Amino acid sequence: MKPLILPILTCFLAVAHAGTIPQAKPSPSPIPTAAEVETSKSSILRVNSTNQNYDFFRPWMKKAPYSRRGLGALIEGGRILVTAELVGNSNFIELEKPATAEKSAATVERVDYESNLAVLRVADPKFLEGMTPLAIDRGMKVGDSVTIVQLEPNGDLARTLGRITSIAVGGHPMDNMGLLLFRLSAPLQQRDGSFTLPALRNNKLLGLLMRYDARSQTAELVSAPVIEHFLEELAREPYGGFARAGLAFSTTRDPQLRRYLGLQAPGGVYVTDVLPGGSAQKAGIQQGDVILSVAGRAIDQDGNYTDPDFGRILFSHITNTISHPGETISMKVFRGGNVMDIPVLLEARDHSKVISESFVMDRAPKFFILGGLVFLELSRPYLQEWGGDWVKEAPQRLVYYDAFQSELDQDRGKIVFLASVLPTQETLGYEDLRSLVVSKVNGRQIRSLTDLAEAAKHPLEGFQRIELEEDPRLIFLDAAAVEANREKMQHEYSLPALENL
Amino acid sequence: MALWVLLVVSLNAQAAEVGKSLVRIEATAQEPNYKTPWSPGEVGGGVGAGFVISGNRIMTNAHVVSNARFITVSKEGDPKPYPARVLHIAHDADLALLTVTDPKFFEGTKALAFGGIPAMESSISAYGYPIGGTRLSVTRGIVSRIDFLPYSHSGMDSHLTIQVDAAINPGNSGGPVLQDGKVVGVAFQGFSGDVAQNVGYMIPTPVVRRFLKDVEDGSYDRYVDLSLSYHSLFNPAARRALGVTAENRGVLVGSVFGGGTSEGIIRQGDVLLAIDGLPIASDATIPLDGSATPLAEVVERKFKGESVALSILRDGKPMELTVLLNQPWPFTLHANAYDERPRYVVFGGLVFQPVDENFMAAHSPDDLRLRYVFDFFVDDKLYKDRDEIVVLSSILADPVNSYANDARYSVVEEINGKRIRGIADVASAFAEPADYYVIRMLGTGRPIVLERAAVEEARSRILSRYGVREEKNLAK
Repeated sequence: MKPLILPILTCFLAVAHAGTIPQAKPSPSPIPTAAEVETSKSSILRVNSTNQNYDFFRPWMKKAPYSRRGLGALIEGGRILVTAELVGNSNFIELEKPATAEKSAATVERVDYESNLAVLRVADPKFLEGMTPLAIDRGMKVGDSVTIVQLEPNGDLARTLGRITSIAVGGHPMDNMGLLLFRLSAPLQQRDGSFTLPALRNNKLLGLLMRYDARSQTAELVSAPVIEHFLEELAREPYGGFARAGLAFSTTRDPQLRRYLGLQAPGGVYVTDVLPGGSAQKAGIQQGDVILSVAGRAIDQDGNYTDPDFGRILFSHITNTISHPGETISMKVFRGGNVMDIPVLLEARDHSKVISESFVMDRAPKFFILGGLVFLELSRPYLQEWGGDWVKEAPQRLVYYDAFQSELDQDRGKIVFLASVLPTQETLGYEDLRSLVVSKVNGRQIRSLTDLAEAAKHPLEGFQRIELEEDPRLIFLDAAAVEANREKMQHEYSLPALENL
Repeated sequence: MALWVLLVVSLNAQAAEVGKSLVRIEATAQEPNYKTPWSPGEVGGGVGAGFVISGNRIMTNAHVVSNARFITVSKEGDPKPYPARVLHIAHDADLALLTVTDPKFFEGTKALAFGGIPAMESSISAYGYPIGGTRLSVTRGIVSRIDFLPYSHSGMDSHLTIQVDAAINPGNSGGPVLQDGKVVGVAFQGFSGDVAQNVGYMIPTPVVRRFLKDVEDGSYDRYVDLSLSYHSLFNPAARRALGVTAENRGVLVGSVFGGGTSEGIIRQGDVLLAIDGLPIASDATIPLDGSATPLAEVVERKFKGESVALSILRDGKPMELTVLLNQPWPFTLHANAYDERPRYVVFGGLVFQPVDENFMAAHSPDDLRLRYVFDFFVDDKLYKDRDEIVVLSSILADPVNSYANDARYSVVEEINGKRIRGIADVASAFAEPADYYVIRMLGTGRPIVLERAAVEEARSRILSRYGVREEKNLAK
């Protein structure tokens, strides 16, 4: 499904779609009582977030601000639950009561981009008086009816009925992390402020709508189990987030592969890659192992186990959502004809060790400018600045380093590259250089921009000697001239700073 | 007014004269299909121009007669097409020599002689059969620019090229461009009208003469090459750091490619100061034929077995080095290939092929790893691991291979523990008897396992169902 976020456009429409939705068998009546409408209305807030992204080509600059408007759900503890995307890189967040249009500023208490969830805290606690927090309903089944809540311009609730079509582990937008998703079909109308929408049943929150495809009328929800995990982690100190097994696998459907491996028992998945420094690698899981069970639950040949609530879903739900970081689960592994139990201590990703970050939010990208040479650390958002077709448009070596970072030498650190040149007297002849990975500066290995900044303090015989992985491979700057002209170049290009480390 | 008439008259005279040398070439080509490498390929045809030169030979562009199965030539004033054949073809310089078996063809023809490099802004006339037609066409223009440019026929080679503003269109290809009755170029490429107008290109005589000299020994050897990259050296700090004192001199060596002529002689970081005694300016030009010419032109004019003398600076110290030009650029995977049969191996319905430009053009795979290995094969010295990139290119669906689809376009690393360096290794690995054939791919992913018995059982079924005439072809 193509992620198609509801645009922030006002659109008028006749509602009354309730009758056209086939009613699912086990669910309660889809026609809400007046009391239910009132209750949910007193739990929903408009959230207007003004966000501003950094320009990764010119990381000392922010792009034009834009606003995202969605609905937040009031939950226990006076907190408002929204998707992380709604408030990503926010400068200012405002809450608004639908009925009275009363407003209050809010701040982000915690945002988790991997699960696409955030909780907001209102500046004035009195603002929430008279409102009712929503409880979480996690017992959804395929076929159940749900109500997606939107707001009419006059503050009235618009309720659209939908039905859960599948429950599966799927990629979340920011980091493509595999977490449980509810997919549903619902004839949602385009309404102002629909970036995030709560999904309810019996006045309980079962998910937040984060993606909607208007053509196929299908939506994806951050699911109740993921929300519960997030809220449980919020209660812990420190916040641990979501763990990952840190492995990639393929199915063992092929009978020829199963016979070659000597795999008698049904089920099991073939480990194709173990991420360096991840939970599985630390536990000793190896490429070529076949995982037969996770936390005591048998894994079928496609990697699914049978969940008491949700049926056959990927075992990543056990490692990423049911379990919390710091917990140890057991994996039964088939290796070279033997079956062994391997305890795996589950850990969240250590973002400081990631070679190329898949997202950089709420902080300025790092950069270092030397004489006009602009150095950056590689990250996915940098590549995404090349536009929708960035995989083909962005410099191919950088795309490759990002895509196959788990295969790179894990001691190489961040990928520091000469991104572009702001021409100065010192960079004469280097104007056309761009997207060149730096290996050494002044004889020192470069594993981060901090390394580069340090190395630049030690010029060799009066020169900044910069070695690159690609042609021209070697460039020099006059160290004294660079130093003498720092302020001049900063002034001429109106740079607020020459570095952000 | 008088001048105008005179001009027309003189041009008419030249056109009539050229009619004795100009040849219309009709070629029927068969293009191999890299998606079904066992099929003989589609038959198509084209019309180009050529001209008679000494020794009863016809010169034309390589692209006029590439992949040709049948060629006929005809001349002005003689309606008869004569069968012709290719004597020599240089795909890297887009030139070819044909001959006609029937000696009568050359009766009454006049061999054209070659001139030198025409001066900028001097007038030239281009002859040929633009947009088809059977009658000679002439267009006129001036020399607009002389530069080093890529030759689009191979897509990989660059040579000296002359830009003219005479209309040069499809059908002009291979036709002579004349000045004062002598050939100063062979028309060969241009732009489509929506890109640029009045921009046509011809192959200048240094390139043509080199081709003619190269084939004197009966075979064409390709261009020899220094197999290194160099960069202009403008930055004053870089010049001081590298110890370059002479003003505006020297270029910096970036990469020296393994297996090439300069390996072990030139090093990365060397500064090239002079080539065969000609001073190299910091913009990588040398004074040649009275103008600043790219320094590569010195090597361009040399032949296999000759040497170049290089004056360099290494770690600030001057050195004199000699590079023996004993072989051409060793990596041809990025060049369009012609007159070759696709190589492949079919086993258990899995098709394995070496990857080159032709393969990439036919398949245009999105696979990121394959694209990296192909694009950076030379730059990242991936040739150390393999002589050529062999991929699982397609799957002829059959029960024996129903689970192999994920591995399409994966690079083959190992079969039954044997490293795969080229397509021939694939054939020999599958020829070894074994119960299981375990194919491991570059990067992550599960191995593909084929059971010998299942492959044997599927063999004739797959071949007949998919019309695979031969299970393999290892010869170009």
